[in-house]
Amino acid sequence: MQMGEEMTAGSPADRIERHKSVDRAYHWLMAVAMLILLATAFLPILGLKFAWVDIHWITGLVLTVLVLFHILRASFWQNFWSMMIDREDLKDPFGKPGKYSLAQKLYHLAIAVLILGAIASGLLMWRKVDTPFWQRDPYWLSTDSWGVVYAIHGLAAMALVTMVIIHVYFALRPDEWYLTRSMLRGWITRKEYEDHHATKRWSAKD
Amino acid sequence: MSLFHYANSIYGGSETLIGANYELLPWFALAGVGFAIAHAVFKAVTAPSKPR
Repeated sequence: MQMGEEMTAGSPADRIERHKSVDRAYHWLMAVAMLILLATAFLPILGLKFAWVDIHWITGLVLTVLVLFHILRASFWQNFWSMMIDREDLKDPFGKPGKYSLAQKLYHLAIAVLILGAIASGLLMWRKVDTPFWQRDPYWLSTDSWGVVYAIHGLAAMALVTMVIIHVYFALRPDEWYLTRSMLRGWITRKEYEDHHATKRWSAKD
Repeated sequence: MSLFHYANSIYGGSETLIGANYELLPWFALAGVGFAIAHAVFKAVTAPSKPR
Protein backbone atom coordinates (compact mmCIF):
# COMPACT_ATOMS: atom_id res chain seq x y z
CA MET A 1 0.00 0.00 0.00
CA GLN A 2 1.35 3.45 -0.89
CA MET A 3 1.50 6.22 1.74
CA GLY A 4 -1.47 8.10 0.23
CA GLU A 5 -3.61 4.94 0.19
CA GLU A 6 -2.57 4.28 3.77
CA MET A 7 -4.20 7.52 4.87
CA THR A 8 -7.68 6.49 3.69
CA ALA A 9 -7.48 2.70 4.04
CA GLY A 10 -10.50 0.81 5.30
CA SER A 11 -14.09 1.86 5.70
CA PRO A 12 -15.07 3.48 9.03
CA ALA A 13 -16.55 0.16 10.13
CA ASP A 14 -13.14 -1.51 9.64
CA ARG A 15 -11.30 1.01 11.79
CA ILE A 16 -10.00 0.41 15.29
CA GLU A 17 -9.32 3.52 17.35
CA ARG A 18 -5.66 3.58 18.46
CA HIS A 19 -5.14 7.18 19.61
CA LYS A 20 -7.83 9.62 20.68
CA SER A 21 -7.62 13.19 19.35
CA VAL A 22 -6.39 14.59 22.69
CA ASP A 23 -3.50 12.10 22.69
CA ARG A 24 -2.60 12.89 19.10
CA ALA A 25 -2.68 16.62 19.92
CA TYR A 26 -0.40 15.94 22.88
CA HIS A 27 2.05 14.02 20.67
CA TRP A 28 2.27 16.68 17.96
CA LEU A 29 2.46 19.60 20.41
CA MET A 30 5.24 17.79 22.24
CA ALA A 31 7.01 17.14 18.92
CA VAL A 32 6.89 20.85 18.02
CA ALA A 33 8.09 21.82 21.51
CA MET A 34 10.95 19.30 21.29
CA LEU A 35 12.06 20.59 17.89
CA ILE A 36 11.99 24.21 19.10
CA LEU A 37 13.96 23.26 22.20
CA LEU A 38 16.58 21.33 20.23
CA ALA A 39 16.86 24.10 17.63
CA THR A 40 17.23 26.87 20.21
CA ALA A 41 19.71 24.73 22.14
CA PHE A 42 21.99 23.71 19.30
CA LEU A 43 21.73 26.21 16.44
CA PRO A 44 23.61 28.88 18.44
CA ILE A 45 26.26 26.29 19.30
CA LEU A 46 26.54 25.45 15.61
CA GLY A 47 27.08 29.13 14.76
CA LEU A 48 23.60 30.57 14.11
CA LYS A 49 23.48 33.31 16.73
CA PHE A 50 20.13 34.66 17.88
CA ALA A 51 18.30 35.52 21.10
CA TRP A 52 17.41 31.96 22.03
CA VAL A 53 17.19 31.96 25.81
CA ASP A 54 13.64 33.26 26.27
CA ILE A 55 12.22 31.06 23.46
CA HIS A 56 14.01 28.10 25.04
CA TRP A 57 12.79 28.46 28.62
CA ILE A 58 9.24 29.38 27.62
CA THR A 59 9.06 26.33 25.33
CA GLY A 60 10.62 24.29 28.13
CA LEU A 61 7.74 25.31 30.38
CA VAL A 62 5.27 24.31 27.67
CA LEU A 63 6.96 20.90 27.41
CA THR A 64 6.84 20.51 31.20
CA VAL A 65 3.07 21.18 31.25
CA LEU A 66 2.52 18.80 28.33
CA VAL A 67 4.51 16.01 29.99
CA LEU A 68 2.66 16.51 33.29
CA PHE A 69 -0.62 16.30 31.36
CA HIS A 70 0.55 13.09 29.69
CA ILE A 71 1.65 11.48 32.97
CA LEU A 72 -1.72 12.28 34.60
CA ARG A 73 -3.73 11.16 31.60
CA ALA A 74 -1.75 7.95 31.11
CA SER A 75 -2.03 7.19 34.85
CA PHE A 76 -5.75 7.86 35.35
CA TRP A 77 -7.54 7.93 32.01
CA GLN A 78 -5.64 5.41 29.93
CA ASN A 79 -4.29 1.89 30.42
CA PHE A 80 -1.01 2.79 32.17
CA TRP A 81 0.22 -0.83 31.97
CA SER A 82 0.00 -0.94 28.17
CA MET A 83 3.36 0.86 28.05
CA MET A 84 5.01 -1.24 30.79
CA ILE A 85 7.34 -4.11 29.87
CA ASP A 86 5.74 -7.37 30.99
CA ARG A 87 6.55 -11.09 31.09
CA GLU A 88 5.00 -11.71 27.68
CA ASP A 89 7.33 -9.13 26.12
CA LEU A 90 10.36 -10.88 27.60
CA LYS A 91 9.12 -14.40 26.74
CA ASP A 92 8.53 -13.53 23.09
CA PRO A 93 10.20 -10.18 22.31
CA PHE A 94 9.61 -10.39 18.54
CA GLY A 95 6.16 -11.96 18.62
CA LYS A 96 2.81 -10.19 18.19
CA PRO A 97 2.63 -7.54 20.91
CA GLY A 98 -0.23 -5.91 22.76
CA LYS A 99 -0.84 -2.26 21.92
CA TYR A 100 2.92 -1.50 21.98
CA SER A 101 5.84 -3.74 21.05
CA LEU A 102 8.82 -4.34 23.34
CA ALA A 103 10.88 -2.04 21.11
CA GLN A 104 8.31 0.74 21.47
CA LYS A 105 8.18 0.26 25.23
CA LEU A 106 11.98 0.37 25.50
CA TYR A 107 12.06 3.51 23.34
CA HIS A 108 9.37 5.13 25.49
CA LEU A 109 11.31 4.26 28.66
CA ALA A 110 14.51 5.76 27.29
CA ILE A 111 12.88 8.93 26.05
CA ALA A 112 10.93 9.34 29.31
CA VAL A 113 14.17 9.17 31.33
CA LEU A 114 15.90 11.64 28.99
CA ILE A 115 13.02 14.12 28.84
CA LEU A 116 12.44 14.00 32.60
CA GLY A 117 16.18 14.51 33.16
CA ALA A 118 16.20 17.46 30.76
CA ILE A 119 13.08 18.95 32.37
CA ALA A 120 14.34 18.53 35.96
CA SER A 121 17.75 20.04 35.17
CA GLY A 122 16.15 22.69 32.98
CA LEU A 123 13.83 23.81 35.77
CA LEU A 124 16.87 24.24 38.02
CA MET A 125 18.72 26.19 35.31
CA TRP A 126 15.63 28.40 34.96
CA ARG A 127 16.71 30.02 38.22
CA LYS A 128 19.68 31.51 36.37
CA VAL A 129 17.42 33.34 33.90
CA ASP A 130 15.67 36.70 34.38
CA THR A 131 11.94 36.00 34.12
CA PRO A 132 8.71 37.87 34.95
CA PHE A 133 8.66 35.74 38.16
CA TRP A 134 12.17 36.44 39.52
CA GLN A 135 15.59 37.97 38.97
CA ARG A 136 18.25 35.47 38.07
CA ASP A 137 20.30 34.01 40.93
CA PRO A 138 23.45 32.28 39.69
CA TYR A 139 24.47 31.51 43.29
CA TRP A 140 21.35 29.48 44.06
CA LEU A 141 23.49 26.34 43.70
CA SER A 142 27.23 25.88 44.15
CA THR A 143 29.54 25.88 41.14
CA ASP A 144 30.00 22.12 41.44
CA SER A 145 26.24 21.56 41.60
CA TRP A 146 25.63 23.76 38.57
CA GLY A 147 28.21 21.69 36.72
CA VAL A 148 26.26 18.50 37.41
CA VAL A 149 22.97 20.15 36.40
CA TYR A 150 24.44 21.49 33.14
CA ALA A 151 26.07 18.12 32.39
CA ILE A 152 22.76 16.24 32.83
CA HIS A 153 20.91 18.79 30.71
CA GLY A 154 23.48 18.80 27.93
CA LEU A 155 23.90 15.02 27.76
CA ALA A 156 20.14 14.47 27.83
CA ALA A 157 19.72 17.03 25.05
CA MET A 158 22.31 15.42 22.79
CA ALA A 159 20.86 11.96 23.45
CA LEU A 160 17.43 13.35 22.53
CA VAL A 161 18.84 14.34 19.12
CA THR A 162 19.74 10.66 18.62
CA MET A 163 16.31 9.54 19.79
CA VAL A 164 14.43 11.99 17.55
CA ILE A 165 16.37 10.80 14.49
CA ILE A 166 15.56 7.17 15.35
CA HIS A 167 11.89 8.02 15.95
CA VAL A 168 11.51 9.84 12.61
CA TYR A 169 13.22 6.90 10.85
CA PHE A 170 10.71 4.42 12.26
CA ALA A 171 7.80 6.75 11.51
CA LEU A 172 8.87 6.86 7.85
CA ARG A 173 9.44 3.09 7.40
CA PRO A 174 6.80 1.73 5.00
CA ASP A 175 6.07 -1.24 7.27
CA GLU A 176 5.29 1.21 10.09
CA TRP A 177 3.16 3.69 8.09
CA TYR A 178 -0.01 2.29 9.59
CA LEU A 179 1.27 3.45 12.99
CA THR A 180 2.24 6.89 11.65
CA ARG A 181 -1.24 7.15 10.13
CA SER A 182 -2.74 6.26 13.50
CA MET A 183 -0.94 9.21 15.09
CA LEU A 184 -2.41 11.48 12.38
CA ARG A 185 -5.90 10.01 11.89
CA GLY A 186 -6.35 8.09 15.14
CA TRP A 187 -7.11 4.61 13.76
CA ILE A 188 -5.72 1.43 12.29
CA THR A 189 -7.70 -1.02 10.16
CA ARG A 190 -9.07 -4.24 11.68
CA LYS A 191 -6.76 -6.22 9.39
CA GLU A 192 -3.71 -4.24 10.64
CA TYR A 193 -4.91 -4.80 14.22
CA GLU A 194 -5.21 -8.56 13.67
CA ASP A 195 -2.01 -8.83 11.61
CA HIS A 196 0.25 -6.85 13.93
CA HIS A 197 -1.16 -7.30 17.43
CA ALA A 198 -2.08 -10.08 19.83
CA THR A 199 -5.76 -9.22 20.20
CA LYS A 200 -5.90 -10.89 23.63
CA ARG A 201 -3.19 -8.50 24.87
CA TRP A 202 -4.75 -5.39 23.35
CA SER A 203 -8.54 -5.49 23.35
CA ALA A 204 -8.74 -2.30 21.23
CA LYS A 205 -10.79 -0.60 23.91
CA ASP A 206 -7.70 0.55 25.88
CA MET B 1 37.39 13.09 24.00
CA SER B 2 35.39 13.42 27.22
CA LEU B 3 31.62 13.43 27.72
CA PHE B 4 32.04 16.47 29.94
CA HIS B 5 33.68 19.89 29.94
CA TYR B 6 35.85 20.96 32.83
CA ALA B 7 37.40 24.27 33.80
CA ASN B 8 39.87 25.33 36.40
CA SER B 9 38.13 26.68 39.46
CA ILE B 10 38.44 30.47 39.75
CA TYR B 11 39.25 29.92 43.39
CA GLY B 12 42.26 27.85 42.40
CA GLY B 13 42.82 24.17 42.94
CA SER B 14 41.02 21.37 41.18
CA GLU B 15 39.17 21.19 37.90
CA THR B 16 35.42 21.83 38.07
CA LEU B 17 32.76 20.14 35.96
CA ILE B 18 30.94 22.84 33.99
CA GLY B 19 28.76 20.83 31.63
CA ALA B 20 28.47 18.43 28.74
CA ASN B 21 30.95 18.43 25.88
CA TYR B 22 28.93 19.78 22.94
CA GLU B 23 31.69 18.82 20.50
CA LEU B 24 30.06 15.38 20.77
CA LEU B 25 26.81 16.64 19.17
CA PRO B 26 27.73 15.44 15.64
CA TRP B 27 28.51 12.00 17.09
CA PHE B 28 25.11 11.78 18.77
CA ALA B 29 23.45 12.73 15.47
CA LEU B 30 25.61 10.20 13.62
CA ALA B 31 24.61 7.55 16.16
CA GLY B 32 20.96 8.12 15.25
CA VAL B 33 21.65 8.02 11.52
CA GLY B 34 23.93 5.00 11.95
CA PHE B 35 21.26 3.10 13.86
CA ALA B 36 18.72 3.89 11.14
CA ILE B 37 21.03 2.67 8.38
CA ALA B 38 22.00 -0.48 10.29
CA HIS B 39 18.35 -1.29 11.02
CA ALA B 40 17.30 -0.68 7.43
CA VAL B 41 20.06 -2.95 6.13
CA PHE B 42 19.22 -5.64 8.70
CA LYS B 43 15.52 -5.56 7.76
CA ALA B 44 16.34 -5.67 4.04
CA VAL B 45 18.72 -8.62 4.46
CA THR B 46 16.39 -10.61 6.73
CA ALA B 47 13.14 -9.88 4.87
CA PRO B 48 11.47 -13.03 3.57
CA SER B 49 12.19 -13.37 -0.17
CA LYS B 50 9.16 -12.63 -2.37
CA PRO B 51 7.96 -15.51 -4.55
CA ARG B 52 8.99 -15.06 -8.24
